[in-house]
Amino acid sequence: VIHPLDDLSAYLDGKLDPSTRGEVEAHLAQCEACRSECQGLARALAALRTLPRPPEPSPAFARTFFQKLEAQRPWYGRLATSWWTWTAAGAVAAALAVGIHFDVLQLPRSREAELAEHLEMLEDYELVASLGSVENAEDAAVVAQLNELEGRP
Amino acid sequence: MAPDPDAELMLAFQGGDASAFRKLFERYARAMVAFCHHFVRNAARAEELAQDVFLKVHASRDRYRPDARFKTWLYRIASNHCLNEVRGAALRRPPEGEPAELDRLAGSAPTPEQALEGAALERAVRAVLVRLPEKQRAAFVLCRLEGLSYEEIADILGSTIPAVKSLIHRATVTAAEALQKEGLA
Repeated sequence: VIHPLDDLSAYLDGKLDPSTRGEVEAHLAQCEACRSECQGLARALAALRTLPRPPEPSPAFARTFFQKLEAQRPWYGRLATSWWTWTAAGAVAAALAVGIHFDVLQLPRSREAELAEHLEMLEDYELVASLGSVENAEDAAVVAQLNELEGRP
Repeated sequence: MAPDPDAELMLAFQGGDASAFRKLFERYARAMVAFCHHFVRNAARAEELAQDVFLKVHASRDRYRPDARFKTWLYRIASNHCLNEVRGAALRRPPEGEPAELDRLAGSAPTPEQALEGAALERAVRAVLVRLPEKQRAAFVLCRLEGLSYEEIADILGSTIPAVKSLIHRATVTAAEALQKEGLA
């Protein structure tokens, strides 16, 4: 007689094909030792089903995980997506834009101020041209006009 | 194979949809913590292990192929990770005694009798799990404690169904003997 001991768990789990299941049931009907073994396994499975449930994840579980995940990303990846990076980048861009705008507005005025200052201080307007402040035709025309008014060549 | 919505999420994640990964994380967080808890019996350590599993899923996203169910793939990663942890813990564990930090399973408030019986059952199962060879242990946890099918377990462990059937049977016999000895079954 072959005792189907190795099939008993699968039998209790309903995992045997119909043919094997029939053979096991026929054997259990006439073998008290196997029947006892099968009943012992069934009681153990019933007891295992009463085990208390494992713990739920703690409230910090997800937050900690995503912090770990973020820490593992390469620095350029973190730069690309963090909100403060975009905020900082926006602030820098805004500052640059303001600076450029200011520079564009202020530069001609500075040249004019410098020119006016030198025009007051210097008698020889030709020197004005050598200061490097006269860089465009408009400034040169002003110098030429002043020279003409002063009767200089 | 029936359509696997988790696989679709994983494919979306492969395509760059981070929200798809978050959905998978939310869907399996509880199951992964519970699964890892069966191996280490410590809530804090179980959470760390489960987080490691999700980090591996995230890092391995390009290796996922939809011919495997996502759940199977996830549990395979988790099984390997937990078995590695158990191997490492076995090397670190003092030869005698039980680690003091092992905690008890959570559940709805039991009566004192149920609590006593639950605690005894828990201790007995824990002792069985420690004694089982690692593949039997993984098969036992996946089948008896997680309720996965023989087919899923075979996929997860990279074994055949007959081999899984044998692993589960031997582990179940060991557990039954231990529970009977303690008068719990």
